[in-house]
Amino acid sequence: MFWHIFKYRLKSTVRDVQTIFWTLAFPIILVSFFAMAFSNLENISEYKTIKIGLVNTQQYQKNTVFQSLITAVSKDENPLFDVTMYDTQKAAAAALADKQISGFILEDDTLHLTIRSAGIDQTIMKEFLDWYLQTASSVNNIIAADPAAGMKISGIMSENITYIKDTNTGTNKPNNVFTYYYALIAMTCLYGAFMGTKEVTAVQANQSAQAARLNLAPVHKLKVFLSSLCAVTLIQYLSILLLIAYMAFVLKIDFGNQIGYILLASFAGCCAGVSFGAVVGAATKKGEGIKTGIIISASMTMSFLAGLMAAQMKYMATKSFPILAYINPANLIADAFYALYYYNTYDRYFLNVGLLFAFSLVFYLIVFLLMRGQQYESI
Amino acid sequence: MGRQESARGGCMVVKVSNLVKRYGDLIALDHFQLDVAQGEIFGLLGPNGSGKTTAINCILSLLNYDKGEIEVFGKKMTPSSYDIKRDIGIVMQNVAVIDELTVYENIDYFCGLYVPEKRLRKELVEEAIDFVGLGDFRKFYPKKLSGGLLRRLNIACGIAHKPKLIILDEPTVAVDPQSRNNILEGIVRLNQQGATVIYTSHYMEEVEQICTRIGIMDKGRIIALGTKEDLKGMIRVGEKITIEFLTGNPQDHVEWVQELPFIASVTTQNNNLLITTERGHNGLGSILSAVHDRGIHVGRVFCELPTLNDVFLEITGKELRDQ
Repeated sequence: MFWHIFKYRLKSTVRDVQTIFWTLAFPIILVSFFAMAFSNLENISEYKTIKIGLVNTQQYQKNTVFQSLITAVSKDENPLFDVTMYDTQKAAAAALADKQISGFILEDDTLHLTIRSAGIDQTIMKEFLDWYLQTASSVNNIIAADPAAGMKISGIMSENITYIKDTNTGTNKPNNVFTYYYALIAMTCLYGAFMGTKEVTAVQANQSAQAARLNLAPVHKLKVFLSSLCAVTLIQYLSILLLIAYMAFVLKIDFGNQIGYILLASFAGCCAGVSFGAVVGAATKKGEGIKTGIIISASMTMSFLAGLMAAQMKYMATKSFPILAYINPANLIADAFYALYYYNTYDRYFLNVGLLFAFSLVFYLIVFLLMRGQQYESI
Repeated sequence: MGRQESARGGCMVVKVSNLVKRYGDLIALDHFQLDVAQGEIFGLLGPNGSGKTTAINCILSLLNYDKGEIEVFGKKMTPSSYDIKRDIGIVMQNVAVIDELTVYENIDYFCGLYVPEKRLRKELVEEAIDFVGLGDFRKFYPKKLSGGLLRRLNIACGIAHKPKLIILDEPTVAVDPQSRNNILEGIVRLNQQGATVIYTSHYMEEVEQICTRIGIMDKGRIIALGTKEDLKGMIRVGEKITIEFLTGNPQDHVEWVQELPFIASVTTQNNNLLITTERGHNGLGSILSAVHDRGIHVGRVFCELPTLNDVFLEITGKELRDQ
């Protein structure tokens, strides 16, 4: 009996175009758009060293402070400027005309910036020079007023102390874009709710004619429901795996190498999604449209708070309402993937996965309580 | 509990005593009584809202009820009476099939809930397909079927497991006349193959056509029960004669027609004179003879036997078909 129902629920769900669109096709389309948008975003935000020219005038040679500053911003792995020295203004202008540099700095009585066209590089150069001139002016004013203070400032400024150092405690480099992808997987898991609610409707005699027929068969409706549930959870799980495979192999999104943990997190997410839909289906006696509306609005809100539309939202929500991090299934799913990717330890991952299974259990208990009666007040 | 004998001699398949079902202040079933004997095609006739479907749903233990006792095959019917349910087939008023499964798969799916054995099920499904004449449509999805074919699929899903008791709740609603006839013929064949049938409808012609015994329902009660002849015998009216007058006012003829023997009532409607005779008397001959003697020119003349609508009208004072 179990396999008979399982087989037919599997068949009918796979053939349900609407369900398959929302649980498989739509996320794949959406993640493809995400990938396109984020690849451009990464190009835009990718920092490139600016090639500038410096005319080696007498005033520049005397200005040791500015020389030190130029040296400081021209070294390291990713320097701000790649500086080329020119003996004459004419040579620098020729290099600028030839687009070898984005602009050049000439110092006589003050600092001059020469550019050919406006752009991000030119704006950065201008901001850099403005900042230097303002700081130099402030220091000069302080020295003029109090020479002793000037000595202290000079001492502080000559010490190049860095108190904060960037380190990476995890296995991978942090990348904000991943928050979007993880939230999208979470949203897809929650879309399993469509299947969950459909299966409840299919066994509640007061909700569909098909269910009334099932209730008249010599089999307990909870047995039918269990078989159906296994079928749709399997389909939802396969949908998620297909989505992740598409992201990993086609879009080349790195999920790390912990396949077993990824599978477990996906399964936990599917269970939470399907069970959430089952609760909505069992608790709401309204029509299919109302149930769909509830599922879409709830899953979108949860996904939004998990960072689907704005990655910062995940952090803002967690910071403002810490409990949200633990009661929002979308956040738990996204965070499980996040923890798996960034952390060396599994505490956070297992907390998320454990909570997802706990929620699923609670949801199914509610469904059981709501559905255990086999007779209805009205049909 | 052994099987009870009905007044008609057969084993009781369904026995309902004093069933009361309320929806808030509304009494849907008011001490409803029903006995259906083995081998019957029992018709439950009544206007929409009279309580037919509620009664069926209570009998099937889908609906809870406030009071009463229900026995099916001599045993108390409960939601978990799976041994009883195994022998019941139900064809719901609304088509209850799965859109994503083909005709064959739908029948196999629902039949499989009753018959786990695969080989036997295959035979039963094929028989059901042949029975409802869907052989050419076995790979069709329900959405591709016409309304009539869809109803036939609905019936096949309900009867494929060869139940001993088949309950059909308004199975011909919104069905074309040809499909309706097919369905009705099919029900008679099922009965001939040994199934007891309970058939609910608000179409009196259908009930008259196929049912061996009829219960007329109104306001949650059975108000008349018997064969169609029994029911028609309960009322005062015999024949209904309609005479169309081509000239003159039919009202001028009411008085002398009323004086003819065995006339129960005379009324007019447009150019027509509507005459009813007393039960058991044929008045058509004497009326036509009198019309001829008076040299009156008449148009069309109709004579109808009383219908179940007349029975309903006389008992309740309202038309069955107008509900």
